[in-house]
Amino acid sequence: MYFECGPIEFSTDDGRVLLNGISLRFSPPTLCVIEGPSGEGKSTLLRAIAGLNRAKVGKRVLQDRAYSVGELPLWRSQVTLLPQDAPCLHGTVEKNLSFPFGLRNSKGKDFQEGRARELLDRLGLGHIGFGQDIRGLSGGERHRLALIRGILWGPPVLIADEPFSGLEQPLALRCFDMLREFSQERPSVVIAVVHNEGLNAKADIVLRLEHGTLHRT
Amino acid sequence: MGHYIELSLFDLALATLLIVIAGMVSLVLHLGITRTLILAAARCVLQLGAIGLVLRQIFGMKNPVLVVSWLLLMLFFAAREATRRSKKRYQGILLDSLLTMTASSLIAGGLVTQVVIRSDPWYDPQYTIPIFGMIFGNSLNGISLGLERLMDYVRGRAQEIELLLAFGATREEALREGAKMAVRTGMIPIINNMTVAGIVSLPGMMTGQIIAGASPIQAVSYQIVIMFMIAASNAIGTMTISRLAGRRLVTNLGIQWI
Repeated sequence: MYFECGPIEFSTDDGRVLLNGISLRFSPPTLCVIEGPSGEGKSTLLRAIAGLNRAKVGKRVLQDRAYSVGELPLWRSQVTLLPQDAPCLHGTVEKNLSFPFGLRNSKGKDFQEGRARELLDRLGLGHIGFGQDIRGLSGGERHRLALIRGILWGPPVLIADEPFSGLEQPLALRCFDMLREFSQERPSVVIAVVHNEGLNAKADIVLRLEHGTLHRT
Repeated sequence: MGHYIELSLFDLALATLLIVIAGMVSLVLHLGITRTLILAAARCVLQLGAIGLVLRQIFGMKNPVLVVSWLLLMLFFAAREATRRSKKRYQGILLDSLLTMTASSLIAGGLVTQVVIRSDPWYDPQYTIPIFGMIFGNSLNGISLGLERLMDYVRGRAQEIELLLAFGATREEALREGAKMAVRTGMIPIINNMTVAGIVSLPGMMTGQIIAGASPIQAVSYQIVIMFMIAASNAIGTMTISRLAGRRLVTNLGIQWI
């Protein structure tokens, strides 16, 4: 089994069942888009997969290996979430692109500066310098930077929470194509929550989250 | 020890005039703190009086069990106060504070009383009680400052911590920056004190020893030992508390909101 996560259960503090035993299984290359009304728990689902909330998760398997709660940091280094709103670290653009490679769980992966430059160029960020302070970037620039960070990191499973929000359609399309290319070339599994009718049609699988369960559309 | 002038009860009564002056200032200027001032003064007299009586007993009996019990009592109150000063709390904060206080005081205080001063007997209350007292008092500040800083960091930089976790950072890695800030913040007071020692302020302990008749050189020597001890205990204390608190604030499942 390449990637399996579930069953996932999550109830809100006031007892509402948000995720009702959802299980996910994917093999690469897959680009899966999750859509659905807001407030139905799409972000909660992504965070549960990454192990970043108190959801009950039956099992987590990646490349035939099961991960316990104690191994979640290692799990997350391979099933990596790009959180909503493209958060960044205080500091430079370079620090923001390269910090994962300095972590203990990076296991000898190296930050490739040339590749980073190339991806920045492709998403119209050629004007941005590595030494530039992250605070000078606009929201849309930060979103693209976060996406590039995820692709450079190149995990077996990449999870993205609204990676294209705030981007104009042509740019969003270029970002989407880059994600799909990543899933095919690595090859890997990409799971993304996307609110964009035009893009979702191009995904391999579109799942709709409603009333605590996922449906194929 | 040299000579010093003993204070009588009459002398203390005379000193009361000073607090009366402070009270009159408050009355005349309508500061509205006259009551608080009188209450504080009364508490000061009662608390110090009671401590004086207790310490006289402990010093007189020289019983190791009694001395150690007293030290433990001081430790408990200092640890509790350290957590009370912080605006935010979490489950288990008192235990963390107690563990931290124990670690920092055992190492720093143990070294000073047993290796540097070599008090004889080892529990000699004349040395152990004031020295551990100073550690507790200062660690209290260090721990509460450090804790406050760490919790502010987790709250204010939650998104960054989650970003690090999301890419596989261990919780130590995710909190490294915050722990550094906490230790730095906890160390600032003692660093400031060491920097201006003797120039801007004559440290309390040194002043006390001089009045008690010790030679200034001896008083200075003791003060240096004490300051280094406080620096060490604050370093150990802030490091320990950020580690312990960090484990509760950030678990394997991300940030735990408090």
